[in-house]
Amino acid sequence: MTAAPPRTADGRELRVETQPGLPGLGGLYARGAAASGRIAAGRALPSLPVIGEGRSPDGQPGTAGSDLSLPDVAYRVSGVGTDGLERHLHDYQRLLHEPVSSTLPAGYLHVLAFPLGTAVMVRGDFPLPLLGMVHVANRVDVRGPVVLGDVLDVRAWAENLRPHRRGVQLDLVAEVRHDGADAAAPPVWRGVSTYLAKGFELPAKGQSGSSGSGSSGSGSSGSGSSGSGSTDEWTPPLPTGRWALGPETGRAYAALSGDRNPIHMSALSAKAFGFPRAIAHGMYTAARALADVGPGRGDAYRWTVEFGKPVLLPGTVDVAITPGAEDGSGYSYVGWNARKGLRHLSGEVVPL
Amino acid sequence: MATRQTSRAQTAGAAQGPRDAVVVGGNRIPFARAGKKYADASNQEMFTAALEGLVARYGLQGERLGEVVGGAVLKHSRDFNLVRESVLGSSLSPQTPAFDLQQACATGLEATITIANKIRLGQIESGVSGGTDTVSDAPIAVSEGMRRALLDAGHAKTWQDRAKALARIRPADLKPLSPATDEPRTGLSMGEHQAVTTARWGITREAQDEIALASHQHLAEAWESGFFDDLVTPFRGLTRDDNMRPDTSAEKLAGLKPVFGRSLETPATMTAGNSTPLTDGASTVLLGSREWAEAHDLPVLARFVDAETAAVDFVHGREGLLMAPVHAVPRLLARNGLSLEDFDFFEIHEAFASTVLTTLAAWEDADYGKNELGLPGAFGSLDRSRINVHGSSLAAGHPFAATGGRIVATAAKLVATKAAETGKPARALVSVCAAGGLGATAVLESV
Repeated sequence: MTAAPPRTADGRELRVETQPGLPGLGGLYARGAAASGRIAAGRALPSLPVIGEGRSPDGQPGTAGSDLSLPDVAYRVSGVGTDGLERHLHDYQRLLHEPVSSTLPAGYLHVLAFPLGTAVMVRGDFPLPLLGMVHVANRVDVRGPVVLGDVLDVRAWAENLRPHRRGVQLDLVAEVRHDGADAAAPPVWRGVSTYLAKGFELPAKGQSGSSGSGSSGSGSSGSGSSGSGSTDEWTPPLPTGRWALGPETGRAYAALSGDRNPIHMSALSAKAFGFPRAIAHGMYTAARALADVGPGRGDAYRWTVEFGKPVLLPGTVDVAITPGAEDGSGYSYVGWNARKGLRHLSGEVVPL
Repeated sequence: MATRQTSRAQTAGAAQGPRDAVVVGGNRIPFARAGKKYADASNQEMFTAALEGLVARYGLQGERLGEVVGGAVLKHSRDFNLVRESVLGSSLSPQTPAFDLQQACATGLEATITIANKIRLGQIESGVSGGTDTVSDAPIAVSEGMRRALLDAGHAKTWQDRAKALARIRPADLKPLSPATDEPRTGLSMGEHQAVTTARWGITREAQDEIALASHQHLAEAWESGFFDDLVTPFRGLTRDDNMRPDTSAEKLAGLKPVFGRSLETPATMTAGNSTPLTDGASTVLLGSREWAEAHDLPVLARFVDAETAAVDFVHGREGLLMAPVHAVPRLLARNGLSLEDFDFFEIHEAFASTVLTTLAAWEDADYGKNELGLPGAFGSLDRSRINVHGSSLAAGHPFAATGGRIVATAAKLVATKAAETGKPARALVSVCAAGGLGATAVLESV
């Protein structure tokens, strides 16, 4: 049965809180914005004992409440029906250039599971602000098809909080199983989304008794963030394709995914967060790359992405899909801005 | 005949193998640059004109032909029976069946293969293949948002539902959609795809301009010599291909700015001069069995020996978009026991000058021959003085579906003329690349 409590990559056992249903993202963003404002206000006032200042600039150790630790909780929703999703699914498939079918693409399951992970991130005891966190990498393991009509069990939690030179990183894990499937067996879909919260610091080792602040980052994601800051020498390969992304791209994916983060919606709302124009959802670009790989990916595969420079909208992304060289299986891909020579995303789709 | 394939002759039930299909002749209208002389001519008007010229030349008025097959790449949905409608508008017997076929730029050659195969199987005695395309009169579609709203409104049962459907139309949906030459799966235009292939093979600007210059000079010479006199019927005041520039020069071509591949790391080399322009036009080819041609007292230019199509995976960059003929030709020649030295003429469709050059480079590359073509080494080199001797698409223009018919008729007349001059059999290889990573190739031989 599905009762076994999930464990994080570092062995932490999580309390499962069952939710009545998958939350809608719109309301969560409102809550996230409020919470982010609270945290940001706290950081702006150094006299207050605030989250994220375990080792403050003036060398004072953080106070007892200030350690960064992730909630020991996994959210779970079972009995998630997919019967009524046909139109939504087909709209997604058309937008992402997937063939229209009854099979839920890996990126679509991310869209389904994402709100539950977001719900974890807007809990009162979640230590980081939702808005302003940067999605730096994503890894999805697909072990078989999920089709319309399947009833699903979805879980989500946060784990593996670790330092990064520009802040802290954590993984948001989501798992999708067929309802009633063995919880000990690998889920049919498992997504690990790595986020960076800039400007936060972890307390020095041993200072906090809390769990989950492991520092190595050697665990699951393996993403590092080498891609994101890459101004290193890089020569684009010959492209195999090109995405012409119109100004509506962000709004169109927002409408389907529910991820209406203002940075995706319009130039005006993106400017408020420091972007010159609206930027494409990272998962939109990663899902386009997955669609470009096509049926050759098979039924069971690992789909990874590392995000680099954001894609400003409207914009053109040159793409190279490259079949695996060594053993002839799997694909790697990269998307870039040809005019500026900047990498937007890169990753792999390899058989599992 | 030394070139007859052996495998097919042994097929069960076909004691002496299929019979020959022969090319009697061809007729096309001059090709016109888009938006010029044929700006208000429809596909049907152009194809009918080309067909009617063929009928007139070979005295086929009232004749019931076995089949007329052709197509257009850019086609209005109302033209669902484009070729049949053209037949009905011609002086052929209205009892002549017809159908539309489409394989992007290989449409005309694929239509010829289809007619030849039906003749060889004995299903028909005679037929016409061809194609037509107009960029000037291309269909323009409504946006996807508009289309879906209109369809839903059409399906609605009540006026409220209809209003609801129509209310979904947004200002952005009012923008019409013109046909693009972008590959649907990659978003890259054909020119950008070929720019990638050009870069991969390191083809120089100079080599491409040389091909373009030769194409214009050769086509002009052919017009001057009267080669096209019995292959072309004037249309709408045009008597020669108006893209042809007999007076162009290496300097003029070298002065043009590159238009494709400008975002690649390597220097861009493809210009409007060494790429085909958008063109309007139509072409036809008359084929028959030897018996039919003889009974109708018609000449026979060439035997349509065999054909091979191929496709490549350009989506994942395994191969260039326009490189399918590179794979088709070795298979075609192997099946027929031929090598590149056995050919007097090579008609390699000049989608771009670099298409010809990347084709040659690939065939001359030993690693490519081994790894991609499955051969012991390089496929081989060909005598460049035998390539496109009367010019090709760079000079004549390239109305997509009409190009195959132009090339087949030219190749057939070339081998017939050569054989008459030398008293020895002559052979031509035809190669046409197409969107979608497709390619069609064929062998013609003098009779």
